Amino acid sequence: MSSQGPKGAEAVGLTIDTDVHQTRASDEEIEQYLPKRYQSIGVELPGRMYNNPGGVLREDVQNEDGTPAGSTPENIQTHLFDKFGIDYGILTGDILSLSVLPNRDYAHELARAYNELLVDKWLSADERFLGSVVVAPQNPKGAAELIREYGSHPQNKQVLMNSVSRGGYGHPYYWPIYEAAEEMDLPMALHPSNQGAGMSEPPNAVGYPSNYFARHNAMPMLHIGQLNSLMSEGVFAEFPTLDWVFIECGFTWVPMMMWRMDKDWKGLRQQVPWLKKAPSKYIIENTYYTTQPIAEPERPEQLEQIFEMMHADKTLMFSSDYPHWDNDHPEYGLPKMSESLRKRIMYENAEELYKVSE
Amino acid sequence: MTTRHEVCPAEELTPGERRIVEVGNLAIGVFNIDGEYYALNNVCPHQLAPLCEGRITGTVTSESVGEYDWEKNGQIVQCPWHHWEFDITTGESVFNPHKVRTRTFDVEVESKSDRDEQVSCYGTSLQGDEPPVQTYDVEIEEDIIVLYI
Repeated sequence: MSSQGPKGAEAVGLTIDTDVHQTRASDEEIEQYLPKRYQSIGVELPGRMYNNPGGVLREDVQNEDGTPAGSTPENIQTHLFDKFGIDYGILTGDILSLSVLPNRDYAHELARAYNELLVDKWLSADERFLGSVVVAPQNPKGAAELIREYGSHPQNKQVLMNSVSRGGYGHPYYWPIYEAAEEMDLPMALHPSNQGAGMSEPPNAVGYPSNYFARHNAMPMLHIGQLNSLMSEGVFAEFPTLDWVFIECGFTWVPMMMWRMDKDWKGLRQQVPWLKKAPSKYIIENTYYTTQPIAEPERPEQLEQIFEMMHADKTLMFSSDYPHWDNDHPEYGLPKMSESLRKRIMYENAEELYKVSE
Repeated sequence: MTTRHEVCPAEELTPGERRIVEVGNLAIGVFNIDGEYYALNNVCPHQLAPLCEGRITGTVTSESVGEYDWEKNGQIVQCPWHHWEFDITTGESVFNPHKVRTRTFDVEVESKSDRDEQVSCYGTSLQGDEPPVQTYDVEIEEDIIVLYI
C-alpha cells in the first residue's frame, strides 16, 4: 500500500528509467538454460561479502507469495511503470557477479543462460522492458559471441558488464567485446556488483573497507578507475562511435575527472598520443551517467552547478534502481531544475542513446 | 477537530506487529510494541516513501570507537527506501531527531464498556418496557484500537 502517491505520469513526463533490476525468483529460472555440463552445479555465485543490515531489496514491494521484489513482470509494472508513468525501463538484472568467477567458461554460460531468460521471460512480457546483454568480461571471445547473438533482439539496447574487473577495462584484452558492441551499434554499460568478492580487485584504491557503508561510499572510485583506464588506453580513440554508460556510481565526480584529465593531457600528452582532443571532449561525447543514488548536497541547488559542469544535458540519465533499498523516487528524487534540463535527464538523453522507439 | 477511527480489535495486532490504515487522505502505520500502541504517518520526509512498511528493528549506539550497543529493540522502523531509522514511539529520526521526523497520532485501546458508552450517546431510545424485536445477548470480549486524528 502506498501512502502519498506521486502526482502521476503527467507530473513526471516522459521517462526512461535506466536502471531497473529484474530479479530471478529462484536459481532454477537460470539453471534451466544451462548446458548439461553445468546442470549439476546450477547457479553458484560468490556471496556479497559485505552485508546491509536492512537487506538489499525494498520490503514494501515484495510479492505476496514471498518471492522477491522485482521477480515478476507484474511486480515491476505495478510498482514502477504504472505507478510512476515510466515509459521504458532498462533491465540490468541480478547476475553481474558472474564476472568475479575464475571459471571463464562457466561464467560465460551463466551469462548466456541469463540472456535467454531475459528474452523468454521479460522482453516478451512488455515492450516497455528494454534489455541489457550481460556478458562475462573474463571471456572476451564468448562475450563478443553473446553480443552478436542477443544484440540483434530489437529490445536489447546495451551490453552490460560488472564495474569490477581484473585490471581496467581499457586493456586490449577486452577489446573484442567493444568491437562486437560497436558493430551491433550498442552502447557498453557498467554497473557494480559484488565488488571485492571472488577474484575482483579490492572495492577501493586503499584495499578492502570494513563494512557495507564504506564499500557503498567507495563506489564512485570503481567508475573513476574504469573511465581513467578507458581514456588512457585509447578505447575512445579506437572505438569512436562506441558510447559508455556508467550506472549507479555517482556523477558529481565527473567534472573533477574532466578537469584533471585535461590538465594532465596538456603536459603528458606524449604518453597518450592517440587522444586527438582533450579528454573532457571524449567524456562529453562518448559517456553517460545515471542519477541514482542522487547526490544530496547541503543546498540542493548546488547540484545545478554540477549539472552544468558535466554537460548533464548530454550526459546524465534518470535511474531509479528499483527495487533496491536505495532506489530514487522518479518524481521526488531529483532536485529542482529547468524544465528543459529535466526533460533531457528524464527522457531525451536516454531516448537518443538507446533509440528506444526503433 | 479530532476525529475517532477504529483500527481493529486489539487481539489482531499482537506485539511486534503493525497495520497500515487509510483515513481520508492519510495512510497511518499503527504499531504494537510490547503491548503499547503507537501511530505514525506512513510517509518518510526524505522522498515520501511508505515509511511504516519497512523493517521493524532496533538501533545501534556506541560509547566509543569499536563498541556497538544494541538498543530500542523493536522500537525502530527503517524506511524501506534508503533505510532511514525512525523511533516508532516519537516519530523522530535517529540521525537527526529534532529536524527529521514524521507525524505521530494518538492511539488508544478502548474496552467494550468504553465503546458502549460512546455508542449509547447516539441512536434512539426505546419506547416502553418491551424491546420491539426479539434480541439476543452478545458478549464482546475484545478491546478495540482507536486512532484520534
